[in-house]
Amino acid sequence: MIYPYLILAQFLALAIQEYIPSLPYGARVYLLPLVFFYGALAVPPPGMLLLAFTGGLMWDALVASLAVDGNLEISLGWSIVIYAALGAIMSGFRPLFQRGHGWEIHCLLSGPLVCIFVLSEYLMITFRRGGFIFPKIIWWRIGGEGLAAMIAAPFVFLFLHWLALGFGLVARRRDREAARV
Amino acid sequence: MRHLNAIALAIFLVVVMALFALTPRHTEMMQARFLGVIAPLLKNGSSLQKQIIGFREGMKTLNQLDAENKQLRVELDELKAMDQTLQGLASENNQLRRALQYRERSVFKLVPARIIARDAATWWSTIEVDKGSSDGVTPDQPVLTEDGLVGKTTTDIAPHASKVLLISDENCGVAATVEGTREHGIVRGTRTSTVTAPDLTLGFLSKLAGLKTGQKVYSSGEGGVFPVGILIGEVKQFEVLPLEGTASIIPSVDLSTIEDVFIVTGGSK
Repeated sequence: MIYPYLILAQFLALAIQEYIPSLPYGARVYLLPLVFFYGALAVPPPGMLLLAFTGGLMWDALVASLAVDGNLEISLGWSIVIYAALGAIMSGFRPLFQRGHGWEIHCLLSGPLVCIFVLSEYLMITFRRGGFIFPKIIWWRIGGEGLAAMIAAPFVFLFLHWLALGFGLVARRRDREAARV
Repeated sequence: MRHLNAIALAIFLVVVMALFALTPRHTEMMQARFLGVIAPLLKNGSSLQKQIIGFREGMKTLNQLDAENKQLRVELDELKAMDQTLQGLASENNQLRRALQYRERSVFKLVPARIIARDAATWWSTIEVDKGSSDGVTPDQPVLTEDGLVGKTTTDIAPHASKVLLISDENCGVAATVEGTREHGIVRGTRTSTVTAPDLTLGFLSKLAGLKTGQKVYSSGEGGVFPVGILIGEVKQFEVLPLEGTASIIPSVDLSTIEDVFIVTGGSK
């Protein structure tokens, strides 16, 4: 079963990303979204929704949803919705993944999708705290995280795909084509 | 297949709606439980990281280690002597307060904690430490080091781990006073602040405050979360805005390199 494997990978990615030092302008290297985007390509849409739920829940439980004076800045569940929306975009490219163009799609889309994710988090906290401010550093941070995601994406993809192939969790391309014939 | 997708989407939406309906209390419980699950992994990762750094730093000669050991012993003796003196002063202070019919100042208990993860999010300045509810940690307890104030505990507290909101975060406001003046204000981080580049401001000052670079800023004890007299940092620059005076502050603690902190719990020593 690929789902326990991907959920475990999400959990480990969340723990590992805590040890990656931040980049200039305070940009972070996020691994959990990259694992989720791989899952969105590798499994059908209902499975993607399951991974969006587990990934978003873990994200909200550990990273976002900080309670300040008894109020949550981002309610538990928002990250799940954003993950699902971004996963739906990634899922649209699943036919290309099945034709063997997985890592390129994963790499190209991970950057913009991570940027959208981080920007949506910023918009939510801006709405909550007030003061609609967008200094340059915010854009550098959002863009830096997208760039970092694009750089890390091929490594995450190849590692996860290599393990999934090794354990027989995803079908090899030639096997899929043979089954189709 | 389309039916299956629609059913999956419907179930997904129902579950997400149920999560939105959770009360903050239930959310905090879930967060604490998840922190409890991931904390052992973070602790092991943290100790592994320390071992690697320690191995690199541990490449010292015996002479260097001997000298360092001697120096540490001297410092330990000094601290022990100072601790005894301070205990005597605290009891004398309490006696005098009693004599003046003031409320006795409580002696705080410091719980030493080790940082197991730091700076995990883009928009929040937080760290995770290895002490939690089983060590007496509760929400809104001050966290400090020997150099000054670090932040306060959040509601995310597992039995053996907890999350700390750093003073560099926009949400962490500390009532403060400036040495040598009667100025009071609020120190808080900015939205663009990070652990590596903390950006603190002291707001709500008088326009005539005229603070000078290097003046020390201490917690004033107002608000009840932070005890009085904890060093927060020093003034970098004072600026007069249309409605108030404001100063940028350099924190006294290097938030990017600290490894050990103390959590101030309520009990007596």
